[in-house]
Amino acid sequence: MELSEYVQRGCQMLADPGCFDLAAFALVLRAAFRSLLEARADEAVLDHPDLKHIDPLVLKHSHAALATCILEAGKQKADKSTLSTCLEDCKFDRERIELFCTEYQKNKNSLEILLGSIGRCPLLITDVSWRLEYQIKTNQLHKLYRPSYLVTLNVENEDSRSHPDISFNCTMEQLQDLVGKLKDAAKSLERAAQM
Amino acid sequence: MLLELSEEHREHLSFLPKVDYAVVAEFGRISLEFLRKGSNPKVYEGAARKLSVSSNTVQHGVEGLTYLLTESSKLMISELDFQDSVLVLGFSEDLNKLLLQLYLDNRKEIRTILSELAPVFPSYHNLEWRLDVQLASRCLRQQIKPTMTLKLHLSQDGEQSSQVLQTDPATLLHLIQQLEEALGEMKTNHCRRIVRNIK
Repeated sequence: MELSEYVQRGCQMLADPGCFDLAAFALVLRAAFRSLLEARADEAVLDHPDLKHIDPLVLKHSHAALATCILEAGKQKADKSTLSTCLEDCKFDRERIELFCTEYQKNKNSLEILLGSIGRCPLLITDVSWRLEYQIKTNQLHKLYRPSYLVTLNVENEDSRSHPDISFNCTMEQLQDLVGKLKDAAKSLERAAQM
Repeated sequence: MLLELSEEHREHLSFLPKVDYAVVAEFGRISLEFLRKGSNPKVYEGAARKLSVSSNTVQHGVEGLTYLLTESSKLMISELDFQDSVLVLGFSEDLNKLLLQLYLDNRKEIRTILSELAPVFPSYHNLEWRLDVQLASRCLRQQIKPTMTLKLHLSQDGEQSSQVLQTDPATLLHLIQQLEEALGEMKTNHCRRIVRNIK
């Protein structure tokens, strides 16, 4: 796991008991996770009476460094020994390494979900709604008498931004074709899962 | 149900008995072509010269015939009703038979063309799918994330479009379940009763 010089210096400050005692370290550690994982986290994460005595620049630097370290670990899916080695290189003592690893383990899943959701992908289908109608006549054509479906696919962009729905008409035969193809796709999924 | 033919319409059609049956049949063919592809005034001029009449007369004759055919097809009137409707024009029996044949031969196609005039959403054309497994991204390594990539082909007004979409396994199963329910609806008693009774 490689960390930049800026990040390493920030972590080293956190390792220094003269800069951060154990309680302060634990606070910054939790603040780092909250900043990353909570949707509404803001700068107030670092607003704590027990951190007031620390130089704000040092606080910001070390907080950012720790967050970067967490993200890098999450990205690489680092295991405990990789983490320990990396933190030892930053001069962390045993106690602080243990604290970090425990907190990391607690938040690992959320972190992976967050990182996995970042990235480009085609429009995501999230839901479908349908309407069945029986066509009787139009102003151009009388005596129609046929069923028709209106299918609407609800879609989202990669960052869960909504996108105009995709709607289309289809006859019964066309809908059967569509469902048949989706079932083929699902079957291939099942077979792949069994491999 | 009888067709109501206006004065103007009858006047336009009055040109038909003045020409050979072959010409009427040809007008019928031209009407269908114009319905399929749009009208072409040059055709009127050519025919007018051959028949020694004004191109306006030819145009009215063709348009009158077209309107007769489209209105009959739109209302899906029976053979008997069609025959009774053209009786008022006072044409010969043979000409009436010719017109009836034109109607019966072409009404299915005319109805298909007319159905394209209705307001429509894009309609389903085809679906292609592909199963992928995402292994890594810039932000996260060592993944095993199955995704289904779909390409939905739609057509509208003769133009095709396609859209690439993605979904996860759970949503795919949900889509299938919902759409199967949709298909099943037509077989319910409620829908069957409606279909039986609306005629």
